[in-house]
Amino acid sequence: MKAIFISYNQAYHEEILEIMSKNNIKGYTYWDVVRGRGSRGGEPHLGDHAWPTLNAAILSIVEEEKAEPFMQQLHQLDIKSEAMGLRAFAWSVEATV
Amino acid sequence: MSIYQSAVKKPITTALIFIAVMLFGIFSFTRLSVDLFPEIETNAIMVLTAYPGASASDIENNVTKPLENTLNSVSDLKHITSKSRENISIITLEFEYGIDIDVATNDVRDKLDMVKSVLPDESENPIIFKFGSDDIPILLLSVTAKESTNGLYKILDDMVANPLARISGVGAVSISGAPVREINVYCDPYKLEAYGITVETISALIAQENRNTPGGTIDIGSNTYSLRVQKEFADANEMLNLVVGHYNGKTIYLKDIATVQDGLEERSQETFNNGEKGGMIVIQKQAGANSVNISKKVLEKLPEIQKALPSDVKLGIIVDTSDNILNTMDSLKETIIITFIVVMLVVFIFLGRWRATFIIILTIPISLLSALTYLLVTGNTLNIISLSSLSIAIGMVVDDAIVVLENVTTHIERGSRPKQAAVYATNEVAISVIASTLTMLAVFLPLTMIQGMSGILFRQLGWMVSIIMIVSTVGALTLTPMLCSQLLRLNPFQGRLHKLLFDPIDKGLGALDHAYGRLLGWAVHHRKVVMFMALAIFAGTMIFLFPIMKTEYFPTQDNSRIGITIKLPAGTRQDITRDLALELTEKFMKKYPEIKICNVTEGAADSDNTFASISDNGTNIISFNINLYKKTEREKGMLEIVEEMRNDLAEYPQIKTFQVSAGGRSGGVGGQNAVEVDIYGYDFATSDAVANELTERLKALDRVNEVTISRDEYTPEYQVDFDREKLALHDLNVGTASLALRNRINGSTASYYREDGEEYDIKVRFSPQFRQSVEDIENILIYNGRGEGIRIKDLGTVVETLTPPTIERKDRERVITVSCVVPNGMAMSDMVTLVKAELNKMEFPMGFTWQLGGTFEDQQDTFKDLITLMIMIILLVFIVMAAQFESLTYPFVIMFSIPFAIVGVVLGLVLTSTPMGVMAMIGLIMLMGIVVKNGIVLIDYTILCRERGMGILYAVVTAGKSRLRPVLMTTLTTVLGMIPLAVGGGEGAEMWQSMGMTVAWGLSVSTLITLVIVPVVYATFAGNGIQGARRKELKRARREARRSAAQLN
Repeated sequence: MKAIFISYNQAYHEEILEIMSKNNIKGYTYWDVVRGRGSRGGEPHLGDHAWPTLNAAILSIVEEEKAEPFMQQLHQLDIKSEAMGLRAFAWSVEATV
Repeated sequence: MSIYQSAVKKPITTALIFIAVMLFGIFSFTRLSVDLFPEIETNAIMVLTAYPGASASDIENNVTKPLENTLNSVSDLKHITSKSRENISIITLEFEYGIDIDVATNDVRDKLDMVKSVLPDESENPIIFKFGSDDIPILLLSVTAKESTNGLYKILDDMVANPLARISGVGAVSISGAPVREINVYCDPYKLEAYGITVETISALIAQENRNTPGGTIDIGSNTYSLRVQKEFADANEMLNLVVGHYNGKTIYLKDIATVQDGLEERSQETFNNGEKGGMIVIQKQAGANSVNISKKVLEKLPEIQKALPSDVKLGIIVDTSDNILNTMDSLKETIIITFIVVMLVVFIFLGRWRATFIIILTIPISLLSALTYLLVTGNTLNIISLSSLSIAIGMVVDDAIVVLENVTTHIERGSRPKQAAVYATNEVAISVIASTLTMLAVFLPLTMIQGMSGILFRQLGWMVSIIMIVSTVGALTLTPMLCSQLLRLNPFQGRLHKLLFDPIDKGLGALDHAYGRLLGWAVHHRKVVMFMALAIFAGTMIFLFPIMKTEYFPTQDNSRIGITIKLPAGTRQDITRDLALELTEKFMKKYPEIKICNVTEGAADSDNTFASISDNGTNIISFNINLYKKTEREKGMLEIVEEMRNDLAEYPQIKTFQVSAGGRSGGVGGQNAVEVDIYGYDFATSDAVANELTERLKALDRVNEVTISRDEYTPEYQVDFDREKLALHDLNVGTASLALRNRINGSTASYYREDGEEYDIKVRFSPQFRQSVEDIENILIYNGRGEGIRIKDLGTVVETLTPPTIERKDRERVITVSCVVPNGMAMSDMVTLVKAELNKMEFPMGFTWQLGGTFEDQQDTFKDLITLMIMIILLVFIVMAAQFESLTYPFVIMFSIPFAIVGVVLGLVLTSTPMGVMAMIGLIMLMGIVVKNGIVLIDYTILCRERGMGILYAVVTAGKSRLRPVLMTTLTTVLGMIPLAVGGGEGAEMWQSMGMTVAWGLSVSTLITLVIVPVVYATFAGNGIQGARRKELKRARREARRSAAQLN
């Protein structure tokens, strides 16, 4: 099992859900408004006067074999329009109940 | 879920809601009635008190003064003026505009109840009378008749006036120029004397003979019959055979001593239409009715009425007030359409995309139509004010939509899907869109609170624009994102023509951005030079141009109507007056081919013609109603013609005074401006002398061609001065003697002759040839109780005297008003300066003062109100901005664009030599809100750049370059939207020209200067702020260094 955390421009939301359903990923946790900035390049998404855009975030725990294509497709989405901003991070899940 | 999110998610609901709003608007548009101005309730109440037999000065002291003293305490009273003339006192209470006249009337009634006991016993109860704009006739019809002149009154009354009066909304219909039928019994005084019969005997006899009497009922056999005596005259000639008495055994019939004429009343008004004798029908509307609707109904009815009339009686139209109203509305509607197209083109050129243009333009009809719904709901009309508010708003409503659309486009270009882009992009700009609408509301909502005349006019403007702005903002936050999500695409296909057209535009705009960036770069590095230059521009305009700017009240409107009142010396015979009237008609008709209809009335009006009897009338008075061809169909302007007519009239030495009123005698807004000098002082002769001197001085100035004095001259009259002792000697008294005199000259109404349900007076008096000289009066025989006949010359003397004129008072002091019409091409402020100069040259006797009144006073009052309002609006705008930025500095910086708006306005008005009137003032007030918008956009983006970490100067230049296009675009839509208003030449255009001019000039100049000065001022303030912070930091560091050094020591 892999935990995948995606922090992305709010406007990406529906596209990401589409990718997830295509990959048969059902479960996720979703925060509709999160703020943040990247460490390299890209505009901050702080929802303030200077940087009015906002992020959303999804945390999804997926099977090992689904993780790789999912990350790939997210990357494709990101490079299609880099100015929007999308980052995804994956790590192993040690235990579930 | 936010409002824009729901809108994007539910496109059908959103679209249909706005379609519903538009449908309501269209429905309202078809239902709204049309008028020239918003309804102005009458603000004057007249109190008429009759005191029969009292002279002017008795009336003044015993009636007018006590009434004035009491009525003066009624609240909201502006002026109290009075006229005391023989037998009657007329007090006019002028209230502030906009008060509830019914409440005022009740107050007045209460006060009158209080004062009643103080009035002389003989005086009658005071009558309250309201006269307002509703009483001004809406239609004047001309009647020409060749054969039917004698029966004209009855024909007109039955077949024209009555059917017209039945139309709902039509008030009084009066006929003038068509004399009323009257049965005249003309007696020969010598024959009367020979038979010892008096006029009174004949009069009483006719009254006794002309009777129908019911005699009760009578039972005959099995039936009951009613019994009647029916001896009313069936023919006037029946009277000739009445037996009036016996003399020497012979029967004397009426025909032996008198003649009977079934004719017309002796004194009447005569009307000529284009030199042809005829009549005039005056139609007034009921209070509160809509004149355009009524005119329409009346005009629809006319062909039907015409068909029923005898073939020689022709009806025509002299004045149709609705004509001007409809033409004015048409030219305004044209202006609105032009404005719409201009704004559309500007948006298209800047955006270069049809779909985007469509999205933005769509907000215009939606918001404008919603304002029409407001008009219908509140019972207002389509009028100059409401329609020009629409025109003003067109350029401003697109601003919000532009901001939203621009941000959505940016998001899409960044790669967002249109749907998401629409929601999130709108979310980002929502606050600033609402804030900029709030600044506009800060300007327009206070407009709804102005008092007085301008308050009535501009309340509607305030509400209309406020509603339009609110609806457009709601539209920009819902409909615009929804449409963006549906219609906008990333990199849409662009045809070759499109490229050919827009590549140069795009390049041009790019070059402009670049040039502006460089200019700004230079300016922020030379802040002192720039500030000094700006200060110089402002100071230069204020010092050199401001003093030569002219002012006025309302511009004079060319409504193709001219009214002229000419007074010949009092007591001039009607024949002489008539000849002059006809001569003038002929002259005018020949000299001015622009005249369509020239209607002239002269003579004394009868009492049943309401319109004529409240306007000036008398045998020496001529009044013209001239209708010109439409403004667009003639070369000469109305004011030029008026001017020339004044010069024409000045050539006639027999004319005592004349008054040529441009725009007809309609009063209110849009007439020619006049400066009135009220001269206060008690003594009659002195005040006459002062007024005459002033008149002479003013007339001596060139260009001044109409000066009138309010006080009438002394009227010559004959008085019969009875000697009481002689009367007593003959067992007579003044009552009997004077009544006998009246019966012989004026006639006594003996009875009424009935025909076809109409009653006509039967008047008995001396034949006209026996009342033509003083001797005729002296020879009148008066019989006493003993049957002795005594001649008037044995009872007293007939003397020629002069009656003193009406005593006029204003604000409880005797006044005489000299009014001077401002000539064509001269501003009112110039005229005021001239008049003041002349007044200062004159030496006023002790106890005499003067004051300027009339249009000038109204102008001063209104300007004072408007300037107060402007200050309040500036403060409100500041508050809104301060709240938006949460800062006091930034709004202050942005406020720097306001002085340059004033510079632009002064420059524009001086260059086009347009006077500053109320309309221009309203334009200036609107500017306060419009010009700061540019500053807000610039400063907001500069702050954003600073927050993103740029240095001050770099941020200023970057922000300027990036915001130039939106600023130019919103400014151009507003400025170009005003230009059709400013240069419009249609009917009524004078009214809104100055407003359009003010906004266009003020906004252009202010924008050009704002684009440089606001960034520069910002840079200065921000720089100072940083330096201050640095200094503080330095001090703190030094302090700490010292402290640590001390610790070390």
